[in-house]
Amino acid sequence: MKDVTKQFGQKTAVRDVTMKIAKGSAVALLGPNGAGKTTSIAMMLGLIRPTRGVVTLFGGDPLASEQHAHIGVMLQGVSVPDRLTVVETIQLFRGFYKKPLAIDRLLTAAGLEEDARVMANRLSGGKMRRLQFALALAGNPEVLFLDEPTVGMDVTARRHFWDELRRFIASGKTLLLTTHDLQEADLVADRVIVMNKGRIIADAAPESIKMQFAGRQISFVAGVHLDLQKLTKLPDVIEIKTAGRQVTIRTNNSDGLLRTLIMEQWEISDIQVTGGGLEEAFMRLTTETEGTFV
Amino acid sequence: MNAMWSLWKAELLRTVRDRRFFTLTLGMPIIFYFVFMNQVGTHARISGTFWNAYFMVSMAAFGVVGSSVNTLAVRLATERKSGWVRFLRTTPLSSAGYTLAKILTQLSLSFFIIFVVFFVAQFSAHVTMPPMRWFEIFLWLWIGSIPFAALGVFIGMAGNAAQVLGTLVYLVLSMLGGLWTPIQALPRALQEVAQWMPTYRFAQPAWELLAERPISWVSVAILLGYAGIFSGLAAWIERKGDAHQQE
Repeated sequence: MKDVTKQFGQKTAVRDVTMKIAKGSAVALLGPNGAGKTTSIAMMLGLIRPTRGVVTLFGGDPLASEQHAHIGVMLQGVSVPDRLTVVETIQLFRGFYKKPLAIDRLLTAAGLEEDARVMANRLSGGKMRRLQFALALAGNPEVLFLDEPTVGMDVTARRHFWDELRRFIASGKTLLLTTHDLQEADLVADRVIVMNKGRIIADAAPESIKMQFAGRQISFVAGVHLDLQKLTKLPDVIEIKTAGRQVTIRTNNSDGLLRTLIMEQWEISDIQVTGGGLEEAFMRLTTETEGTFV
Repeated sequence: MNAMWSLWKAELLRTVRDRRFFTLTLGMPIIFYFVFMNQVGTHARISGTFWNAYFMVSMAAFGVVGSSVNTLAVRLATERKSGWVRFLRTTPLSSAGYTLAKILTQLSLSFFIIFVVFFVAQFSAHVTMPPMRWFEIFLWLWIGSIPFAALGVFIGMAGNAAQVLGTLVYLVLSMLGGLWTPIQALPRALQEVAQWMPTYRFAQPAWELLAERPISWVSVAILLGYAGIFSGLAAWIERKGDAHQQE
């Protein structure tokens, strides 16, 4: 995408966005609702045209159906047709591609072996999502576009889903997924692009994004004999700030760190744990940030 | 090409499982046929032919219009609303392939409906005519169903209103086009209206063939005109809709 802007009437959904997704990379597009993630993906897929700027897919026009031979897609808000079973729906999609994956392989990937003969539109929300994952994989794609893939999946389904995705990436293929959950992005992505209000506000490896956004803070007053250097060696510590004897530690595991601090009898008092989870820190970031930083 | 056949196969499978299709779209013409045969008698003379053959054509046309205008419209409206059409656009299936698959599906269904109505009429009311005549009438009703598929596509764009609108258009067009009551039995004013109905222009050439008269080219021209209008309107709305599409 190069200098891409998309307007819907008065509303600007994507503003001067430039990004390039390299082959073999696993990219997470992160941002709160309305950040422009879905719109960006829709333009890459040729579902909508940009108001300004250029979008290319494999170096060609994303609108051309030939460009879709090697991609797999999961969109939001799609329900499958009625009166077709899970297997028939997958077979329908396999028919769209030249070299589809085997039907058994797709059922396993989606974890729908037992639901193969169920009418597809009667599946629960989570299973419907898994079926769409199978449809996305049907053509043995080189690139997967997944828009909020895990919405509606339960914990077991998610774990299975991430395992499958990791296998997909490990075979050298390309992934672009959107999510509003930093933790999800961290699970598979090697690059995280944060969007807010139609702009890219950060683009970096997940570790460095985490450093900036994540975590709760544990603050306390350190005793006189406490060695601050040793604190940094503790597990789960991301960053330490001190103001006199007042110490603030940023951590991604406040419970664990707190336990360590107490069990090891560190000399601390007036302990406070602040800040919500990733979500809250992230929300704060996206509502506050105006400039761009990496 | 394979993508298109894959969709066609799935569409037929869906129709085979559609109870509504069998009870209403296919069931109604057949029940009407039995009822009207009983009431009027099979060998009443009408418009240069016999009632059993005349009304067979009427009901085949009625069934085909129902499947194209009503069933197709409702199905398309649902597919658009559910995001399915949008999803399909991300696959290698081109929009031409999608449209062609839909047309082929409609043609297959029309073929089936005409066949069943003809079969029932032949066995219940002993309709007889030379094989060539059967073939010609069959072919005309089959090919002539395409403009109604275009109308179905157009109505399918009405979203939530498609179901009501589809049923309404289907019944009103059938009635005004003389598919239920021959237009000779209609009041003078309605006869005038019927002349301009696509349904009348669809059935009329088949009735002419029954009476061993040549096909009226006026009917063919009017039907073609309607085909142009319906597909033109559908294409226009499609383009307009794209420009205003949200997220």
